Amino acid sequence: MTVTAVPERTGDETAGRSLAGLLVTPVFLAAVSAALYLYVRGLDLDAIERRSLGRSEITHQFLQHVRLVAVSTALVLAIAVPLGVLLTRPPLDRLSAPFLALANVGQAVPSIGVLVLLAVTVGIGFQKAVVALILVSALPVLRNTMVGLRGVDRSLIEAGRGIGLSRAAVLFRVELPLAVPVILASVRVAVILNVGSATLAAFTNAGGLGDLINTGISLNRTPILLTGSVLTAVLAMAADWLIGIVELVLRPRGL
Amino acid sequence: MRKLSAAASLAAVALTAGCFSSTGTDAKAGSLAEGNSLKGVTLTVGSKEFTEQLVLCQVTALALRSAGATVKEKCGLQGSNTTRAALTSGSIDMYWEYTGTAWVNYLKQTEPIGDPARQYAAVAEQDLAKNKVKWLAPAPANNTYALAVKTTTMRRLGIADLSGYARLAKSDPSKASTCVASEFAGRSDGWPGLQKAYGFSLPKSDVATLAEGAIYDAVGKGKPCAFGEVATTDGRIKALGLTPVPDDKKFFPVYNPALTVRESVYRDDPAVEKIVKPIAAALTDAVLRELNGEVDIKGEQPSRVAETWLKSKGFIGG
Repeated sequence: MTVTAVPERTGDETAGRSLAGLLVTPVFLAAVSAALYLYVRGLDLDAIERRSLGRSEITHQFLQHVRLVAVSTALVLAIAVPLGVLLTRPPLDRLSAPFLALANVGQAVPSIGVLVLLAVTVGIGFQKAVVALILVSALPVLRNTMVGLRGVDRSLIEAGRGIGLSRAAVLFRVELPLAVPVILASVRVAVILNVGSATLAAFTNAGGLGDLINTGISLNRTPILLTGSVLTAVLAMAADWLIGIVELVLRPRGL
Repeated sequence: MRKLSAAASLAAVALTAGCFSSTGTDAKAGSLAEGNSLKGVTLTVGSKEFTEQLVLCQVTALALRSAGATVKEKCGLQGSNTTRAALTSGSIDMYWEYTGTAWVNYLKQTEPIGDPARQYAAVAEQDLAKNKVKWLAPAPANNTYALAVKTTTMRRLGIADLSGYARLAKSDPSKASTCVASEFAGRSDGWPGLQKAYGFSLPKSDVATLAEGAIYDAVGKGKPCAFGEVATTDGRIKALGLTPVPDDKKFFPVYNPALTVRESVYRDDPAVEKIVKPIAAALTDAVLRELNGEVDIKGEQPSRVAETWLKSKGFIGG
């Protein structure tokens, strides 16, 4: 649907930039990964390094990390976006101010604190780490969903109602599409936060690339530390790139 | 690689620059100060972050002060490598290190030497030649690894030693579930070597990787693992009713603590060695367990624990 009352904002600039970025990023990440591989291959590794940098070991930790991030991000989307929508509808919209305040406070809690607190009270392992990651990264998504929906021009909503659309149709065809950029900006933040925080999950038996980083630090083996850190950074950038693509697909044309 | 180590030293300086550094409690002269004077000398004592290190840091600072030195404390630096870099870069003058740790981490060896005296001699010789770090007399204490289990569980499972544990790991792996820290999991003298020496291989699903300090509590609860890697001088072993499983094949190497000093400091102030010698000789496993327990279980301050112990031995006056 086209809405003529939209204030003219040329999206060409951003689209052009992200399009170039979309092509550059995978090439860059592949180059970084290849450089890391060649660097490690060229080293004379001792027994400790060989154990930690074995193909199966690294693959296992990397996939474990991807699982942690993917599961927690999917659940964040499934929880925070609907909740954000509910909190902007009557009769719950009166609760939105306290919720926003709470979300702001929650953002200040350090993730390692949440992880360890859960580990001590609930237990350890993959599922608990996912819960901790959700607690840490759901807040920005919830907040931005509410802010994005609130930021939609009232006159557009009334115009939608005026041409006979139901409340639900207005939500799905006017409000949410217009809020997409704001919501996805927070999803980007959430994913990158999750990639970083998931390294801490190694302390509570959830594995992941944090295992490599910890081993590298505690045994003073730079190749192990470097591998863990570089792979984490590559994963974060790859995730960011994926969301960039999602944004291109979901963003209404002309915005 | 040289660039990296320079960066590490820089990082260590940066880390230690903002670190809690104080001139703690004073100490009157006791038996350590007889015939040893450090008047007009300023020294900086450092340590790693765990309880035993904090206590040893205070013990050393008080002992040196009792001989008239001005001592700055930089206790509680984060991790072995940071503390080591602080020593080699000169932001601290001395700290207590363990023979096995130096062997693996700084001398880049992977296979420990079984005999404690030979291990100490090898470390002391190489570290002085390569890194200009002087090792003073080692303590008899052996802060090595052990697998601990709740005493009641050990009886129920009918295990007498690590060979028994290995048999259980083969016949019923879920009952032999084990918690390890990432350092132990990566070391040749840790988990991989242990499995090789005792000829078992526990499936990944029965091995949990935790932060070092969390293992004691986990084993105490028996969740998520029955067995766990512990340090033999930790006070929590006794407090939580755990037993270190006897190492019948003598697999775990010996880790004697010793004060490591920068060579230049050792040359300029030879009295340091004389002052520390009786302290090192008195540090047995039992003493360290007791001192660590005072802090970890009773919640005493490391400085108080160190002071009380030094006075009780007559090492310092008071």
